Parts: sequence; C-alpha cells; structure tokens
Amino acid sequence: MEAAALMDLELNPGIWLALFFAPILASFPIAFIWPRRQDSFARKLPILSVFGLFISFLITLFILFRVEEGRYVYPWLPSIGINFVFVADYLSKYMGALTGFIAFTIGVYGLEYMKEDYRLGWYWFFFNLFTASMLLVVYSDNLFMLLIGWEGLGIASWGLIGHWFRDDDELSYVGVMDRKVGPLKMFWSPSTGGWRAISTIRVGDMPMFLAVAAIFALTGTLDISQIHWGELFEKIGTAGTVILFLAFLMGPFTKSAQLPFSEWLMTAMTGPTTVSALLHSATMVAAGTYLFMRISWYIKPWEIHLPGVEIVYTLVLFLGLVSSLYGASVALASRERKVLLAASTMSSLGLMFASASASYWLGEFAVIVAFWYLITHAFAKATLFLVAGHIIHETHDRFLGGDREVFSKMKLTAIVTLFATVTLAGIPPLTAYWVKSAMDEVMEKLVHDVGILPFVLLVTISAIYSAFLAKFFALNFWKGRHVHLHLHGGGVMKTAYTAMVSMLLVLLAVIYLGIDHAGEEFIHAGMAEVSFMVGILVLVAYVVGFAKPEHENAVGRVLYDRVYVMALNDYIVPKIGWAIAWIVDIFNRLLDFIAHTFIPALFEALSMSVRVVQSGSLERYTKIVVSLVLGILFVVSVAGWF
Amino acid sequence: MELAIPAVLVLALSGALSLRFKYIGFAGALVASAMMVVNNPLLLMIFAVVLLNLASLDLMKGFLRGVDYTLVGLIFVATSYAFYSQSLAFLLTMFVVASVPTYMLVMASDREIRMEVGIKYITFMVIATILFLIGAILMVHASATSSPTLYFLGYTMLLVGLAIEVGAGPFHEWVPDVFDSADPIPISVVASIAKFVPFVVAFKVISSTQMGGDTLILLTGIVAVVSMFIGNIGALTSNKPARILAYSTVANMGYLLAALSVSFKSEFIYLAFAGVMLQLLTNSFGKIGFFVGIKEDAMPKIETYVLALSFIGIPPLMGFWGKLYILASLVYANLLWVAFFLVINSAMSVPYYVRLIRIFEDKKDFRRLAGYLVTVTAVLMLITIVPPNWIIESSRILMKYLTIGGV
Repeated sequence: MEAAALMDLELNPGIWLALFFAPILASFPIAFIWPRRQDSFARKLPILSVFGLFISFLITLFILFRVEEGRYVYPWLPSIGINFVFVADYLSKYMGALTGFIAFTIGVYGLEYMKEDYRLGWYWFFFNLFTASMLLVVYSDNLFMLLIGWEGLGIASWGLIGHWFRDDDELSYVGVMDRKVGPLKMFWSPSTGGWRAISTIRVGDMPMFLAVAAIFALTGTLDISQIHWGELFEKIGTAGTVILFLAFLMGPFTKSAQLPFSEWLMTAMTGPTTVSALLHSATMVAAGTYLFMRISWYIKPWEIHLPGVEIVYTLVLFLGLVSSLYGASVALASRERKVLLAASTMSSLGLMFASASASYWLGEFAVIVAFWYLITHAFAKATLFLVAGHIIHETHDRFLGGDREVFSKMKLTAIVTLFATVTLAGIPPLTAYWVKSAMDEVMEKLVHDVGILPFVLLVTISAIYSAFLAKFFALNFWKGRHVHLHLHGGGVMKTAYTAMVSMLLVLLAVIYLGIDHAGEEFIHAGMAEVSFMVGILVLVAYVVGFAKPEHENAVGRVLYDRVYVMALNDYIVPKIGWAIAWIVDIFNRLLDFIAHTFIPALFEALSMSVRVVQSGSLERYTKIVVSLVLGILFVVSVAGWF
Repeated sequence: MELAIPAVLVLALSGALSLRFKYIGFAGALVASAMMVVNNPLLLMIFAVVLLNLASLDLMKGFLRGVDYTLVGLIFVATSYAFYSQSLAFLLTMFVVASVPTYMLVMASDREIRMEVGIKYITFMVIATILFLIGAILMVHASATSSPTLYFLGYTMLLVGLAIEVGAGPFHEWVPDVFDSADPIPISVVASIAKFVPFVVAFKVISSTQMGGDTLILLTGIVAVVSMFIGNIGALTSNKPARILAYSTVANMGYLLAALSVSFKSEFIYLAFAGVMLQLLTNSFGKIGFFVGIKEDAMPKIETYVLALSFIGIPPLMGFWGKLYILASLVYANLLWVAFFLVINSAMSVPYYVRLIRIFEDKKDFRRLAGYLVTVTAVLMLITIVPPNWIIESSRILMKYLTIGGV
C-alpha cells in the first residue's frame, strides 16, 4: 500500500471499456423505449440496466483481486500528453469495488422502489451514467479523463435530483410547504433542487478547470501520479501554490458540500431516495473527498515542506472540521428523515477532508484513515438512506415519525437501522469505532503541530453525530408520533439494505482479521485509552439521544433552519446575479443605442453636412475653392517664413 | 517613344476624317494607342483601360461622334509619354494634353451639348492646371536655388492643383455635380484614363526635387485623410449611383494622395508608386464598369458584385492589392497615422458599395456591348488572384524614368 512509483502495465482495454460503458449501454433500451411506450414490457427493461451495473461491479471486483497495482496507459493524444490513463492502486481498487457494489445494490433496490414511476427512461439512464462517471473518476489517473467523469457526475446529479420535475408531489419536496422566513422561502421543489445542485457545482468547477489548465501549462502532463508536485509548488511560490491548490480544491469543496456550499446537498433530497443513497455514499459527494485523497496520495505533502502547502492543508483541516460540526448540528436539529441524513453526510465528509489533510503532518496513514472512514460511512449511509426511502414509501411521510408500531411491523428494517446507526456512530467494538479511533489518534497527534482544537472538535462532533443517529432511530421506530403504515411488498428493498448493512460486518472482519494492513493499525488505535474514552462518550451520547430525541429551544430552531446558510444560494447570489444582469442590460442598451442610433445618426448628420456644399452654384464652389487655396497658400507662406 | 509624333499625326488625320465616317476616328485612336504601347505590364493594363474607354464610347450617339475617339486616343498618347519622359517641359505639356480633351468630352451627350457641366468642369480644371504648372515650376526652381520657402509654396500649389484636378477633398466640389449631371460614358473617361498623368507627373516632380520636410508630409497626409473622410462620409447617404461613385472617387483620390506623401522617402517610392498605379487601375475598371451600368441603368449581377467587392478591398480582387501596397508603403515610411485612417475609411466604405450592389441587383436590361464591357472589367479585377508581382516589377523599371533631367 506504500505509494511507490507506479509501473506502466498492460491490460486488455476491453475490460476498461466494459467497465465504463456496460452501465451506459445497458440503460439505452429503457431510455429509448420509455418515451414511446410505458407498458408492462417497458417496465421490465430496468432489469437490463441493473445487469449493466452488475457487469461493472464484477469488473471492479476483478480489478480489486486480480489486477496488479500500476498504471494502464492507452494513447489518445500522446503529442500533448493526454492519454487514457487508468490507475489501479490502494485507493482506486477499494473505491471502485465500493462504487460497483453500492451502485448495483441500490440498482436492485430501485427496481422495486421506482417501479411505479412515470419517468423510468430518464431515471435509469442518468442513474447508470452517474455510476459510470464515478467509476471514471475513480480509476482515472489523467486529470483530463477525470474531468470527463467529474462533469458526468454533475449532469447526472442534475438529472436525478430534479427527476420529479413536475414538482407535483409534496413527498418530493424539502422543507415545510409554504413556510417563509423573512425573504427566504423555506421549501424547495425537485426542479429547484436540481438547479441548486448544478449551479453550485459549476461555481467550483470553473476555478478547478483553470487550475487543471494551469497545471498542464506548468508541468506539461496531466497524470496525477506523474506530476512532480514538489517541484511545481516550489516553482510557483507560496502565493502561487495557495491560489492554484485552492482553485483546484474548489471542485472537491463544492462537490462534497463543504461550507459554504452545503445547501445544494440538503435540497438534493428532492430526488428519489435511491439517488440520495447513491449520491451520499459512493458517488458525487464522495468524489470530492476521494479526489482530495487521491492527489494527496501522490503529492505526498508530508515530504514537501513548503509554507504554501502547509497553509492549504491547515485550511482544509479546519474547513473540514467546521463543516463537519455545522453538518452534525444541523442534523441534530433536523425534522426530516432524509435531510437529517444529508446533513450527517456533510458532517462525515468534513471529517474525511480533515483527516486526509492531517497527512501533511502525519503522513500517508492519515489518508488511509480518511479513506477507510469513507468506505465505512458509505455502506452505513447507503443503508440508512435505503431504510429512509422504504419507510417514506410505507408511511407517505418524509418527516421523522413512527412509534413502536412501526418497530413491530417493520422489525427487520428497524434492526438494520439500529445496527447501521450504532456501527456508524463509533460505538465499540463495531466497525466505525476502529476507524474513528484511528482518526482520534490522528487528531491527537496534531496537538503537537496544530494545537488541541482539532481533537476537541472531533470529539464534539463524534458525540453530536452519535446523538442524532440515535434520534433518527428513536423517532422513526420507537418514540415518534403515530404514523399510518401502508405496508405492501418491499421484499426487494429489504434484501437490498440488508445486503448493504452486512457489508459493515465484512469490513469488521477485514479489520479484525488483519486482511488489510490498515486493520492492525486500527485495532492498535482502538485499544488506546483515549479512543476508548471517546467510544464511551459516543455510547453515552447515543443513549441520551435515544432517551430524549426531541428538545425545543432557540438554538435548535436556528439549527433547524440550517443557520440560514440558504440565504447565500437563495438570496445573496441571486441578488448579485440580478445586479450583474442589470449592469449587463445597461451595457447592452448602451451598445444598442450607440450601434443602432448614435453612430448612424452621427454619420448621417456628417454626411449631410458634407453634401450640403453641393448647391449646384458654380459661383459658390469657386468661392470655396479659391478661398481654401488662398488660405492654404497663406498658411504655408507664413509657415515657410519661419 | 519615337512614335509619339507619328501617333499624334495619325490622331490628327483620323480625327479630321472622322467627321465623314466616325469609325475612322476609332481606327485612328486604336492605331495611335497601339503605336504608343510599351511592353510593360502596367502600360499594357492602361492600354486595356483605354480600349475599354474607346469601346464604351460606342454606347453614345450624337454630338462629337468620331472625334471623341481621337480625344481619348490623345489622352493615352500623353499618358504613355508621361511615363517615360524625363523633361519637365514635356511632362507639363503632357499634363495639359491629358487634361484638355476631357473639357470637350465632359460636355458630350446623346442629344445636346451640356454647357453648364462644361463650364463647371473647365473652371475648376483651369484653376487646377494653373496651380499645378506654377507649383511644379516653382519646386524645380526652388530646389535649384535651395530656397525652402519657395519650395513650400510650390509644393502646396502643386498639391492643391493636383487635388482639384483629380477631385480630392476638400477641393472636390465639382465632382458630385459633374459626375451626376454629365453623360456617364464621358465621365467614365474622366474618372479612369485621365487620372494617370497628374499622379505620374506629380511623382516625378516631387522625387526629382526632394526638398520636402515633415511639414509637407503632414500637409499631404492631412489633405489625403480629409479627402478620404469627405468621400466616404459623403457617399454614405447618397442614393444616386453617380453621386455614390463621385464620392467614391473623392475617397479613392484620398488614398492616392496618402501614397504621394511617401514620395519623400526615396527607398519606398517604388512601393507607393505601384500602389497608386494599381489603385488607379482598380478605380478605372470599377468606374468604367459602373458608369456603363449607369448609362444602361442595368448591370450583370455577378460582375456588379465583383466590382463593388474590389472597391471595398476584398482579397484577392485588385482593389485589395492596391490598398495593401499603399498601406505597406505608409507603414514602411512610418506614416502610421495615415495608414490607420486609411484602414478606418476602407471599413466605412462598405455600406455604400453594398448599396450600389443593391441598386443594380434586379436590373438586367442592358445592351450587349455594355454587358461585355462590364464583364471584361470584372474579369480584369480578378486577374490579381495571382498576387500582382508584375506591378511591383513595372514600378521598379519605371523608377529609372522618375528623375527629371537637368534638375
């Protein structure tokens, strides 16, 4: 797992082609046939799409177990250094398999969840494009190729979040209908959600493109593993490093919904739950943190001691922690099932960023911890979303709610939820505990370089995190208000999230049995006193959260309104936009006036004044010419005299 | 050039006999022109101009029938001679000889003598001729006696005389009136073959005396730019084709005067001279084509486009190269401001040439000879699809005859 120089290896390109194109091609039948006929035959076609996802999943497994670590180069534009370059390394092997598995499992779940939908062609095409794009991001070593996948994620997320574009179902909204706070409308329709997602992401993508272009201009290559990052940063100096690096990270920051770009993620909940599950676990938001881990893996910031790099990594550390704290607090105050989970995802992403950025001081291990947290989180969060989708499906209610009747009638669902929340919270001795312990250790070690603050923040976040997970469980299955259940079917969905949650046990086995080298380190960290104390704290927080899941107060209300961060998306930025539009409009009118009125009028007047001389009178002409001639001769004579 | 005297004799004889039968005049003019033609690409092109002029006269009837050929032939004899003569006296004579026949031509029309046009035209030409002749003589004298003040005065008179003669602004007052009220065919002669001699003589006098300073370049540049602007702006709101062409002539004469200011920098004269000659050729072919069109009130469509686009200066048409050489000479001579205004003015000319196209767009009722003539002018505009190195070569050869003897 040491990030040594990668060998260039050979692999049948057909494997890569199948990996990326199988899902897309498999979604074509439903995408093309659905707009023409929506009968029972068409409703069977999604099985093909899921089969495409299955092929991709198998290939990711093949890559995980059978493909050697190294770079796989297929020339495209070799003259300018743009090739199809895929990399199989520690990160991409796991990440690919994770993506493949989660996408496939959610695909299966979606077969049942989406079977009554009115827009299946659209859904499956974008769902599969989403997966393929993420796989491209995962395996690409070339930044240009990566950006293609990156943009695929953007467009697919827009399509999927705004899937229910008719905005006609209250169940697909986010927020309380018709609620307003000041000028802010506190409810968002699916089409708004889609628009907010794509518009926020574009804000980050623009500087990222420029940064990639700058990297290409400065180094002549776009292969992440081949760029001499240290030399690059040395060449462009501290300010250059900070500008370039932050411009690049604007992409990951917006994709992974770090502050202040978090709002789109909250309203991404307007999409089908399957989309939320995929978007929050292995694709989209994970792409941002994954990219940060991937470049940190090859930048090796721990070997570069430049002030610019330190500034950037410190900034990412605190941005991650603050975003995480914000996300956890908002989740704690949330009353909607999916919004709570969305905010919790944001919190987790913050932790991933923070932990990965610690690599500057602590080396590669910090990245591995962040990455393992990503994996653990992905399975747990996908499970929780699938559960949430199922209970929304059964209760026709997107707000937290459910008493023991739900528990008794949906036992499996409840147990899966309980297991997923307990595991993700980091209660010993379950999966996330070990990973979180390693994270505790990382933050604790930072005391020497950065101070105690990161550690304190992490512990606080862990406690809040555990509390809202308990709240999620308690209010849905035990202590919530009474809800009406409309139980029907759901077998496929149950199977899917049971399979998903069981992966947490697989991970636990990997850690316990030391199948991965990182496992030993995690066990070691988990045995530490501090980690254990944090574990106990988390357990206490969970119990408290379960015992008293609801508590009205002023702080809670502000957090419920997400600290009004949405003002940025819904008020400030539009105002700026309108101001720009206003200026552009004035300029436009001015230009129109100059080009269509002023200049023609001016030249017409000039032309008339030139032609007014022509009266036809010879006498007049002669007078003009003779006086002109005499005048010029006089001037020249005087000038010549001197 | 030894054949100049016989050529004039042929013209005189045929002119007299043409009163009996008009085509004798035509034949005499052809023979005399052929006698004067030299194996030099530029002269051959000018010969083409005169042939077109002679042919176009056949579209007229009435007054001057027959003698008009002789008069055009005479202009060509003077033009050809002026290129090779190195004697001031002969050059000035040629200036007059090339000018006077137009006095008569301009009054000609199908039915009557247009006296009013004639008076207007002749009045201006007389002023121009006097200024030009006195200016030239003063310049030569001043350079012999090293008297800058006198040279300034002489140059100014020559410049103003030239401007009035060819119709450059702000001395252009006669141009719109005469172009509009005279018969189009004689005007096509005035606007084409008659324009060469004044510029050739001016180039020779200036480059032989060479006492110019920056002041004179500035003066020339100002007159040139003023002329461009008056021409192009005036044409913008003109709707009658003859008036558009009149202002287009004013603008074109501005471009040519701009090149004249380069004649103080001896190393770039050949380029400026080539540019001027090519632009004069463009102007000649274009004016002949369009005035024939005005005479018929109809033109063939594609040819109209070619002529107008050539005037605008679209490569590879001839008008592009003329402007290009003038621009290049201006840039080499470091007269960037003049070059700048020339480019601006070229752009400004687009609308009215397009309007010219529109005016003739759907008019197809022309006589067969007129159609041929317009087609030939359009084809000639197209010969510069091969970059016209021949004009540079001709110009370099003619540089040998630029100095006036005994000065």
